[in-house]
Amino acid sequence: MEPQSKAEDMLTENGNGHSASAWIQEHSPRAVWRYVFREDRLFLILSVFIGVFSGLAVVCFRFAIDWARLYLLGTGAVLTPVRMLLAPTLAGLVIAALVIHFFPKARGSGVNQTKAALYIFNGNIPIRTAIGKFITSALAIGSGHSLGPEDPSLQIGACIASAVGRKMRLQRDRMRLIAPVGAAAGLAAAFNAPISAVLFVIEEVIGRWTAGILGSVVLSAVSSVVVMRWFLGSESLFRIPPVELKRPTELIAYAVLGVVGGLASVVFASGIAWLRPVCKALPRWSQYFQPAVAGLLIGIIAVLGAPQVMGAGYEYIDQAMHGQFTWEFLAILAGLKIVATLLSFVSGTPGGMFAPTLFIGAMLGTAVGGAEHVLLPHLTGSPGTYALVGMGVLFAGFLRAPMTSVFMVLEVSGNYSIIVPVILANTVAYLISRGLQPTAIFDLLTRQDGLELPSMEEQREEDILRVEDAMQPAEGPVLDAKNTLDQALQQLDHSEIERVLVRLTPSGWGSVSKQELLTMAREGKGATTLGALLPIAPVPCLHPDHPLETALRYVDRWPLVPVVSRADFRHLEGVVTQRHVLERYREFGEG
Amino acid sequence: MASEAYTKYRFYLEQRPTMLAVFSVLAVVLFLGVTVLSRAHQAQRQAIGERWFNRGIADLNGKRFDAAVTDIRAALLYSPDEYSYQLNLAEALIGEGHTGQASAYLINLWEREPENGIVNLELARIAAQRGETDNAIRYYHNAVYAAWPSDQEGMRRNARLELIELLLRNDLKAQAQSELIALAENAGPDPVQQERIGDLFLRAEDYEHALGAYNAALKSNRHQAAALAGAGHAAFELGRYQLAQHYLQSAISANPNDPESAERLKTAQLVLHLDPFRRQIPTAERNRIVMEAFAAAGRRLRSCAVPDVKAAAPASLPSLSDEWARLEPQITAVGLRRNPDLADTAMDLVFRIERETSTVCGTPTGADLALLLISRMHEGS
Repeated sequence: MEPQSKAEDMLTENGNGHSASAWIQEHSPRAVWRYVFREDRLFLILSVFIGVFSGLAVVCFRFAIDWARLYLLGTGAVLTPVRMLLAPTLAGLVIAALVIHFFPKARGSGVNQTKAALYIFNGNIPIRTAIGKFITSALAIGSGHSLGPEDPSLQIGACIASAVGRKMRLQRDRMRLIAPVGAAAGLAAAFNAPISAVLFVIEEVIGRWTAGILGSVVLSAVSSVVVMRWFLGSESLFRIPPVELKRPTELIAYAVLGVVGGLASVVFASGIAWLRPVCKALPRWSQYFQPAVAGLLIGIIAVLGAPQVMGAGYEYIDQAMHGQFTWEFLAILAGLKIVATLLSFVSGTPGGMFAPTLFIGAMLGTAVGGAEHVLLPHLTGSPGTYALVGMGVLFAGFLRAPMTSVFMVLEVSGNYSIIVPVILANTVAYLISRGLQPTAIFDLLTRQDGLELPSMEEQREEDILRVEDAMQPAEGPVLDAKNTLDQALQQLDHSEIERVLVRLTPSGWGSVSKQELLTMAREGKGATTLGALLPIAPVPCLHPDHPLETALRYVDRWPLVPVVSRADFRHLEGVVTQRHVLERYREFGEG
Repeated sequence: MASEAYTKYRFYLEQRPTMLAVFSVLAVVLFLGVTVLSRAHQAQRQAIGERWFNRGIADLNGKRFDAAVTDIRAALLYSPDEYSYQLNLAEALIGEGHTGQASAYLINLWEREPENGIVNLELARIAAQRGETDNAIRYYHNAVYAAWPSDQEGMRRNARLELIELLLRNDLKAQAQSELIALAENAGPDPVQQERIGDLFLRAEDYEHALGAYNAALKSNRHQAAALAGAGHAAFELGRYQLAQHYLQSAISANPNDPESAERLKTAQLVLHLDPFRRQIPTAERNRIVMEAFAAAGRRLRSCAVPDVKAAAPASLPSLSDEWARLEPQITAVGLRRNPDLADTAMDLVFRIERETSTVCGTPTGADLALLLISRMHEGS
């Protein structure tokens, strides 16, 4: 037995500290180290380091964006037209050169790159990508491109995690999972919302829940948020006004917001789906100018009266929440932000889409709320409530992360009283968006880039074959272990069946072929019970609700696998064989 | 040399525990580095914020509210939680007329410091402007008992004065009187202040306290026209016409262009002249006053019964006319001398006529007003 498993047994079986210390004394230091720094424990320790490093990186990233903004756009609340036009344009030129010549992998938001690291590159992301993402995104957001810092932070976190994993020479399966752990840390620090970050990474990047993954992701997210709050404080990204739902009938108003948000999400996603390939298809030299042209157009929008579309725009979300704009202007701002973000994103400028999504959602939510107030003055929902619900709506509709969208609003607002309108509106938006735009935005971008990464949404919505779909009624009699061999042969006398199931005592199932029974009878064992004759290892049982792929693990070794009720293991619901399973898969594949 | 050392200790250097130790050291170093960076960043933001704030304050002092709002908003970008920035922005927004936005900031500040006097006062003013009287009273009360950064007594007094103004505007005289009493108790000897308190007492119809406040104001300067006029007014309303006459004569001497006081003096003098019940008056003189009053009441009755107001006249007026007509032949110098009780009967009818006609035809003037006031003075006696 391996030393580590010995120790494990000693510690787990009786928890006796003396035995453990005795074991440590008996073994070499190397064996002790190997035991203490076992891969799964190490992974948890590393998650904390990844969280700390990511948190520090995100803090620096925020400083860099701020400095870029100060020096490029100026320090005032009102920007000068010259800066509004020149800053994003010139920064666009620099960013294009950097991306083309030095950091080609820094393009895009960063979510898909992290998924690619998980599914294609065995968790490897070059640290150069993080450096590139840091510089180019800070320049882009600071100069006024309509992008946000969250997705780049996510990718920076993933890069850091990957570097840490490489240094620690982690096993391949651990290495694959380390990028999402860093991604959660980066996103949590950028958003100041650890729960949302964990959920997003589980929902959109990894796609599955296991204790090991969840523990690491949570540890890294919490560590990074602690570091971020140490330096930047624990205040939310915007001041949250009092929000509440006074009358349940007002839910209709929020459902309307869900419809509008769903449609806006489709427009936004369709715009990217259409314009991105067009821009990519342009001659290579044009790539040097695409971010600059996008920046110039955004500058023109700003000069014409909507400087709010520049940058991440959190301060304007705050203002909208506190009723500082008319609903008509908010509706215009939502539309212009969609255009500005489209331009920035399709031009290949590095930066995230989370912040613009929240901006559009907040503006749209407050606009819809304002319009509803004009039509129905008795509605009591405040602009802040509509803005928060609107953010969730766009998150659910555009980014297609329904779970994250709900928790994000709750976490950001710190108020659970709006959970009902949030769930309702988000669900409506999600269903509309999914109905009108079947491919989620991140999957769409992946396919446009020529990659085939698993779609978490498709996986969630996929029809799963279950054992009950392939299960057949048991042919022939079911024998009992108490029966003697002669009794069993009598039961099988008129049966053509090759193999039958045997109900064991006190529980469990076995199987035996008619040929085996005849052989044993010839050996003179006719008076012996089947229980005494059959091999010790029983046949594994399945339940009707098991995924059919579970059956695949057994049907090649056991020709006949019993399917039993979960309530009564001795009650046989049916049987599955390899032939049944394969036939069902073939039928499913044919459609 | 170094590579040899690395080769020698490579096993240990590449061990996971060693790497973890390296990560720990790296984390500490990076943490310190980011701390330095963070302080530099924070200091820079603070300096920029202060620069914009100082510009905003200059604009605010110069009543350039639009520019002040822009500048202080810029300052808030760098220190979003700075209390003084938010407060001054709210004041600039109020100056600009954007009370809704100002209110949002002020409520935020109020939640942080509910005892702040300036915030409560501004919120009270906004609530008063919006017609939310209950909220305004609540915030004014907070402001009266709040903490003020300087001149605490003066600021509290001003807040209470604003509250009283609000109460009087909303005809909440009882509440206004109690606030005024509290204000008067804490007021100093400043004549201007006392005069203002007297004016407010007058508006709150607390004439006794008003007279006291005006007297306090007159202590330092006995020729202060406004205080004299106010004291005259208060004494007049209290029915102390002799005293009112004294104050009002002094007020007119000090300020001849005071028609209100002149009119009030005239009425007070008429009251004193037409009161037949005043003490130490010869019988002949009293009878002459009764005849004069009776004649005036008859004229008033006739003028009030003119066709255009007849419709509104109550049924009692014809009976008063009949009564007056029946009594009229007896109200002569001889009749009054022969029957001393007739004077009381005549004056009783005069008072009833004046009261009845004042309800039908409005407040009278001149002798009729004087008779009405005399009737009130002797009511119940």
